[in-house]
Amino acid sequence: MTTSTSAPVTTGHKTAVAARTKGLRKEYGSTVAVDRVDLELPEGAVLGMLGPNGSGKTTTIRMLLGLVRPTQGEIELLGKPLPDGAEHALPHVGALVEGPGFHPFLSGRENLIRCAAFEPLLPKKQIKQAVEDALERVGLAQAAHRRYRGYSLGMKQRLGLAAALLVPRKLVVLDEPTNGLDPAGTREIRKIIADLHEQGSTVLVSSHLLSEVEATCTHVAVLHRGTVVAQGELTELLQAGGSALQVITPDVETALSALRTAKISARPLGEGLRVELAGTSAPQVIETLVKAGVGVYEATRWKTGLEELFARLTEAEEAERGMSAVDTLDGGPR
Amino acid sequence: MITRQFGSEVRWMLRRPRTLIGLFGLILVPIIISFGIWSAGEGDGGPGLGAILNGNGMVVPIFTLFLSLNLLLPLVASIWAADGLAGEAQHGTLRGLLVAPVSRVRLLFVKLFGLTAMSLFAVTLMAVVGIIAGTAFLGTNGMMTLSGTTLSTAEGFLRIAFFILLVTFQMVAIGAVALAVSSTTEHPLVVQAATMTTIIVFQVLGQFPSLDWLHPFLITTGFPGLIDVMRDPIPLGQIWDSTLLAGCYMLIGTGLAAMRLITKDS
Repeated sequence: MTTSTSAPVTTGHKTAVAARTKGLRKEYGSTVAVDRVDLELPEGAVLGMLGPNGSGKTTTIRMLLGLVRPTQGEIELLGKPLPDGAEHALPHVGALVEGPGFHPFLSGRENLIRCAAFEPLLPKKQIKQAVEDALERVGLAQAAHRRYRGYSLGMKQRLGLAAALLVPRKLVVLDEPTNGLDPAGTREIRKIIADLHEQGSTVLVSSHLLSEVEATCTHVAVLHRGTVVAQGELTELLQAGGSALQVITPDVETALSALRTAKISARPLGEGLRVELAGTSAPQVIETLVKAGVGVYEATRWKTGLEELFARLTEAEEAERGMSAVDTLDGGPR
Repeated sequence: MITRQFGSEVRWMLRRPRTLIGLFGLILVPIIISFGIWSAGEGDGGPGLGAILNGNGMVVPIFTLFLSLNLLLPLVASIWAADGLAGEAQHGTLRGLLVAPVSRVRLLFVKLFGLTAMSLFAVTLMAVVGIIAGTAFLGTNGMMTLSGTTLSTAEGFLRIAFFILLVTFQMVAIGAVALAVSSTTEHPLVVQAATMTTIIVFQVLGQFPSLDWLHPFLITTGFPGLIDVMRDPIPLGQIWDSTLLAGCYMLIGTGLAAMRLITKDS
């Protein structure tokens, strides 16, 4: 896979975009939180934003929402440039950023009513109904009268989601939506994201839970050390990373030397070997092996999970740079 | 839209437990003052305003507000200003408002409105309780002024209403400066401490004759002059100066808060 920080992998086609950033950079004092972020969020997509802690996910999201001013770069949100166009774009955007924020002395319902009062697209008469609907949708109707102070982490998270869904949105931005949720809650969030996707909303989910992203997203952007190292459609990215063949054979030694002669890279793995398909194809590999008299019991296309892709994108570089990289990772603002 | 936001702001402030406790504390002040003077009996009520309090219940609201303006009311204003921006930032709710979106300038006006409405409410509440408690404990027969004349009850009410507006204005001016501090931090306590320290330091500075060049710039210097409301006829000179000074504080505070809010990362 051709991946480097200077030339991020981009797959996918030109389509209408819900959000786009160009050369985004944010400095906090002497710390560079985010640099050269060119993000494209296609309309109708569910984009999973992946990255280790401190990789710049939240900072990027906060800039996308006009909460933070970029030091450099341009942002376009729903066709409007930020920050000037925020007033026109943001009413169509629902967001849960950096965990839910509510007043502890108010009940869940009262908190939502306060949020609703500031929603430009919500007519006054519909506030009550919209609040009840949102509570119902996230499964908080039973606990709506209780004070926010007494909510569990999962309930708080649900209330944050309810606030993001008060009005039908063109774009929903969820920053770590499954934080603190139990498996059932996680499934519900997944369902809500799928529903939004079905209704045609664009969704941006940031997460460090890879299985989460793999299960719900159509597109992926991987952030690492404050910059986008790969983005595109999930299936294409996985295919691009998955060019390997697993061969089960008892004659590992013979097979390796035969492949080496044919200039195909391979290494022993388990009961057989793993053959990289870069510059070659599966039939060619098998032909080479059979001609060398190697008994091939089984040959399977290596399926790359998101986890492996992610590890390759974020850890390979880490190993090159050595341990010093860890310091900067932890030192960055969340 | 803006009226709905104003309404939400005031409702939110009124729902805070600490607002209710604070208001309860404020209404205790005129009651305690009335009770204290009543139990002290016929004796000397002290110099100035205190001297005319006995048998003059209508003066209690003015006396209460006049005393409270030195510390209590600035404290309350600073608490509201602190909760308004720093407190919202601390709970993460400021983000929610900005993403809704509420423009940052409008948000400041919503906060200023809340502060003004609640200040007016608190000051009026104190005055009303003062009238009731003063009349109950000390009795009344019109309103005796510092000039020795006696005003009719209706005229007395007018004077009280005028004083309520003047005191509210001073309170909002302090609150506006506190809002500017509030926009720079997410720790409400810092805002309260900064505001109260400033008020106390100003009052101390006001005691030094050698610093008299500084006095016209201190908002606290304007406080004593407001008592001219109790003279007959009212000399407007000092009252006007105090109000003008407070107006300057209000403008500067609002301007600084706006400048900070517009560029703030949240």
